[in-house]
Amino acid sequence: MEKIAMNKHRSQHKQAFDEPLWWGLFSAGGVCFAVLLPAVILFIAILLPLGLLPADALSYERASALLFSVPGFLFVGAVVCLPLFHAAHRLRHGLFDISVGNDALNKKLMYGGAALLSIVALGIVVAGFFS
Amino acid sequence: MDKLSSQRLPPLKRNWWLKHRFFKLYMLREATVLPLIFFTLCLLAGMVALLQGAESWQGWIAFMRSPIVFVLNLLALAASLFHAATFFVLFPRVMPLRIAGHSLPDQAIVAGQWAGVVAVALLFFWLLGRA
Repeated sequence: MEKIAMNKHRSQHKQAFDEPLWWGLFSAGGVCFAVLLPAVILFIAILLPLGLLPADALSYERASALLFSVPGFLFVGAVVCLPLFHAAHRLRHGLFDISVGNDALNKKLMYGGAALLSIVALGIVVAGFFS
Repeated sequence: MDKLSSQRLPPLKRNWWLKHRFFKLYMLREATVLPLIFFTLCLLAGMVALLQGAESWQGWIAFMRSPIVFVLNLLALAASLFHAATFFVLFPRVMPLRIAGHSLPDQAIVAGQWAGVVAVALLFFWLLGRA
């Protein structure tokens, strides 16, 4: 395993100081994915479309009030941003596992994509808060 | 040294993980992020719709009701639970807890984490389940 890991960073002669950050975000996102996401998916993507929630539970007014708030900002951080970094990390390593692309580029694409979508998500909350 | 290690180690074929049940399960767990990413993108679309106005928000709920989206989100729910099941058993191995000199049994730590999942679901029920 150690040798495989060395191969992966063959092109990087500097020590990878950023890796603890990615692993940290990966673990934090993994906890959120495991503990928060089952309930979030159940209520927002299953019960809401099935019409099993009370009619005004997520009406436009109620949903706006819930999301465009300080708790809404924290919710997006835990349910969108951290899981995005978790997914980015798994995708990067998954692509390496099946030898697709080049790790140095995949790394930039995956974490860059997660960062971009996170900024968009948090930006939406801030924009809604001040509008 | 780097060059040598790459010479010693022949590159793995892309299907290396199909050869053993353990590796297949590993790849399945890695793949749980794919439906997660789908759900996250749905959620982001919903946030944009909420920012746009009441009509867009209703349109987004209709989109969440379309069969393909609904089935993929069901898959995301199953994936989040599978991820949780594999993630929770790691906790006692990574960080065994000791209380008053007695180590907490692994099952208790795993059960505690599932209790967390249930608590989050109850919080959502409290927030959205009542008219």
